[in-house]
Amino acid sequence: MKFIIQQAAAIKKMEILISELCKSLGVSRTTIERWIRQGKLPVSKKGSTYGFHARDLKNWAAKNHISLNLEPRPVQGPETEEEISLSTALETGGVYHQIDTGPDVPSVISACVERIKAVPDDCRTDLVRQLVKREEALSTGIGGGIAIPHPRTPLEYLDQPMIAACFLKNPVNYHALDNQPVSTLFFILFPELKFHLYLLSSLSFCLRNRQFSEFLKTCPEQSELIEKIDALHLAQKM
Amino acid sequence: MRKLKQIYNIFYAKFFLFDDRLVLMTAGAVVGVFAGLAAVTLRLSLAAVLEFFQPYRQYAWAFILPGIGALISFLFLDKVMREGAGHGVPEVIYAVSRRGGLLRLRSTFSRLISSFFTIASGGSAGPEAPVVMSGSAIGSNIAKFLGLNDRQRMTLVGCGTAGAIASIFHAPVAGLIFSVEIILGEWKFVNIIPITIAAVAGAQISEAIIPKKELFQHHTFSIFTGDILGSIGLALFTALISVIFTRMLRTVGALAKRTPVSPWLRAMIGGCTVGTMGIFMPMVLGEGYHPIIEMVDGTFHMAFWLIFIGIFLKIFATAITLGWGGSGGIFAPCLLIGSLTGVVFYKAMMFVFPNAAVASEGTYALLGMAGIMSGVMQAPLSSIFLIAEITGGYEAILLLLLVSSISSTLSHIIEPSSFYFKDLIERGEFMRPGTDARILSDLSLNEIINTNYTTVSENMIFRDFINKIRNSDRDHYPVIADKTGDYLGMVRVSNIRKYALDPAFYDMIFLNQIMDTDMVTASFDDDLHDVLEFMETFNIDHIPVVDHHRFSGMISKARILDLYRRELIMQTNIQ
Amino acid sequence: MNYKLLHIFRNTPFGRETFLQSLHFCKTINAYPVVYIPKTDKFLMYFSNDVVQVNLDSSFLAFPETAHEHVIALFDEAGIPPRFYEPKNFTASTLPDISSQFDYMCSQRSVSDRSSQIGLGHLGPKVRRMIKQATFPILIASPVFKAWKSISVFFGGSSNAMNALVLGLKIAMASGFPLKIYTVLENNNEDVYRDMVRGSELEELVDQYVNEWCFYESSEFDRMLYEVPHDSLIVLGAYGHGLIKEILLGSKMEHIQSTVTNNLLVTGPNCRISLT
Repeated sequence: MKFIIQQAAAIKKMEILISELCKSLGVSRTTIERWIRQGKLPVSKKGSTYGFHARDLKNWAAKNHISLNLEPRPVQGPETEEEISLSTALETGGVYHQIDTGPDVPSVISACVERIKAVPDDCRTDLVRQLVKREEALSTGIGGGIAIPHPRTPLEYLDQPMIAACFLKNPVNYHALDNQPVSTLFFILFPELKFHLYLLSSLSFCLRNRQFSEFLKTCPEQSELIEKIDALHLAQKM
Repeated sequence: MRKLKQIYNIFYAKFFLFDDRLVLMTAGAVVGVFAGLAAVTLRLSLAAVLEFFQPYRQYAWAFILPGIGALISFLFLDKVMREGAGHGVPEVIYAVSRRGGLLRLRSTFSRLISSFFTIASGGSAGPEAPVVMSGSAIGSNIAKFLGLNDRQRMTLVGCGTAGAIASIFHAPVAGLIFSVEIILGEWKFVNIIPITIAAVAGAQISEAIIPKKELFQHHTFSIFTGDILGSIGLALFTALISVIFTRMLRTVGALAKRTPVSPWLRAMIGGCTVGTMGIFMPMVLGEGYHPIIEMVDGTFHMAFWLIFIGIFLKIFATAITLGWGGSGGIFAPCLLIGSLTGVVFYKAMMFVFPNAAVASEGTYALLGMAGIMSGVMQAPLSSIFLIAEITGGYEAILLLLLVSSISSTLSHIIEPSSFYFKDLIERGEFMRPGTDARILSDLSLNEIINTNYTTVSENMIFRDFINKIRNSDRDHYPVIADKTGDYLGMVRVSNIRKYALDPAFYDMIFLNQIMDTDMVTASFDDDLHDVLEFMETFNIDHIPVVDHHRFSGMISKARILDLYRRELIMQTNIQ
Repeated sequence: MNYKLLHIFRNTPFGRETFLQSLHFCKTINAYPVVYIPKTDKFLMYFSNDVVQVNLDSSFLAFPETAHEHVIALFDEAGIPPRFYEPKNFTASTLPDISSQFDYMCSQRSVSDRSSQIGLGHLGPKVRRMIKQATFPILIASPVFKAWKSISVFFGGSSNAMNALVLGLKIAMASGFPLKIYTVLENNNEDVYRDMVRGSELEELVDQYVNEWCFYESSEFDRMLYEVPHDSLIVLGAYGHGLIKEILLGSKMEHIQSTVTNNLLVTGPNCRISLT
């Protein structure tokens, strides 16, 4: 007698909610209800609610070769992709003013990299080499006095993606698309490729804004810059 | 009290859930007994009343008897019971294939009583279809009472059918096979056992109540090699007759619908016509078991041409009884026509080859029955076992097989759908388990539709739209009218690529300028079959569902495949 | 969501009143009426564990030639695009199956034209069975068209009353009409009922939409019925316990339907109502 009651309690405990079952089987509630009505699912109807028994269900799924995942499925999709906001990246990277450099591209890059604090010291030469190589392939000067130097491969020695904004003391000929001298550089440095495209696209979204480009000419401080960027992104979301 | 409930729950879980064999077997036996009782009741009351009316049939006014019977039968069915038209077997098949075996309570007795009036008064019809209807309705309602699910209910419907047939013919095997072959259409282990039990129960009930008065006495038939040729010839003949019979049933029924008289008068006229025929040839009246018994015994004496006319008179009488408002089945008429056909063929054969070494006239009557039954019902197994079982003619089983298979094949070629299935096939309701049609009808659009779509306004500027699709992985955006919320058209990301890549367009156009308004849409009134047809015709993978001008969601081919496969597995793979 | 209401049209002045009621209901809660003009004197409705045959009397089949235009005229008057239901499946050639995939259904108190059965106090056996089996609420229309302007939920505390409350809230949200809850105390105090709602996710909605919650002693049932505004839609759950009451749909329901003339929206024991 006691045994039976215990068993009953166990049965109750194993009940699975219909909504969970919908997810595990990947079908709609209507389908589940129809299957129950047609007697295709091992299910007990208790009043107006249904109870499922996990063990029966597993047997049933095995017998019918239907994939049944009673544990919650790993959620996928773009929502859960790690995203990093432009302002956070900029905070990590920092803003640097009045950089004094030589007249050519490699010297500009090495001077800027020297200043970026978040880059480990023993990696600077490697980073400069990579960035210069990238510039040789195709200039990152996008016009309007702005360049976005970035390496082609992820940098394993970084913990987080970052953007460093460097304002040069004197504009330099950077072989930009519009042949204008460059005075502002945004370094995009990233440990994984997926950050690269995202940061690049949000940055270029800001740079397309004329007001923002004008604002950059004033060589703003880090806090001002971040504020402006946040305002822009907020406006986009609206 | 609570403990009791828990114990009940365990029993429920153990015996009622998936391992429901015990429940189904017990319920099957009960259903079989009740179905058997229904059959026995009808048989006994028919026998009594037919005997009572026997003396009156001699009078000249007797032709009116079947008329009155058909009239009462019609009025009872239509006005008192308010039943649907038809003889009932297609209704049972429909209920099983489409409605989970749900049948109304009134069906348990309505056809029983109305067919009693028809047959007792002399209408040419059989008591079997009404009994099948009753039996299966009994099964369905017992299942309803027990709160069983569709699958279990269908099994009990099968049990009812088997019990009824088994009881009326004393033929358990025929009951089992008829039930599985005609009604359920699937051979499954879980079905067969309860149905067998029900068939045995039904047969035992009738055995217990009507002990020794068996329908047909058992005979020994001696078979010769020459009979093989003979039965092939007979099979050709029966195929022809059964096609004529099927056609006649339909033509007369259609004629009745076109006749501009009120239905009750029509029933009366039909009955009187049969009655008039009965005055000249009493054989055509009633279910006609007596002449069959005589023919199988070899004691039937009638001139060759009279029998030949008898075949057609019986066909006509049956068609008019059933088509013009009477109630009953074609089982018994089939048997009579079959035995007449067999006897005619035998006599013709004897005339041409007087010295051929062949079996008796009774054997040919037997074979003729099998031939006509399998020709009309196109269910060879049922007819072979039924004939073999009711006549005990197992010696003739080889010839029965031969005649049945040839006859059903031939009539299938000429008349592709059998008498029972024809209506259903024409309405597109003939759905056996595991077939494409059944799966498509089971899956509703509600189950397949993906409602997770964001709608956009017709007045949205293209730039805003570009920003919207930036953060989404959807390909389709339904465009909705601002004021009414009606669906206007669809923007497909893949279709607007050329604009999306040109920023000059961004502030120039509104969404209602680039949306696709010709995209074919489905509605919830369509079934999946229609939707698939749309997809095929227009060669698209996605179709929006628009219900009452409102966008409800999209249906994709990928999702259909996913669910279709599961459904197929479920329908074909249950234990 | 597109809510659909099934209306079986009867081409008589009385049927017009009922149809006007359906139209008003649909307009108020933004649903679509779907009209079935019967062509045979009976039809079937299949539910999950039962099949109900509804027999119509001759008044439903009268004047088939004008029925269609009458319906269209009434639709036009209400400014709703006309929509008709055609049965797709037939159990037998004279026995169409009417889909049970609707969200509401409108019915008279009795599917009959005998005036003695149309009045109060008689709820036809078919209507009872439909309420018992239906997965959707049934609108039992008042004999004469009555434009209701408020909603009264009879909340008794059973699970089915909960259903009624959800339905009442749903209609209040869709229509914007004020909602009142009426409860007869059965050996409990008010808090028991309030706690029932408090525990559920309805709490917020009740706070937002319920204008007043009226409590009555169990002896004051008839006073309560009188105090329900005459122009309000009564939402209630029909439920039965035990065999006898099951047939009667619960004694309360019987009493209510024989006393008040209001439109009743009844949720049966098989109704499933969700807010979305």
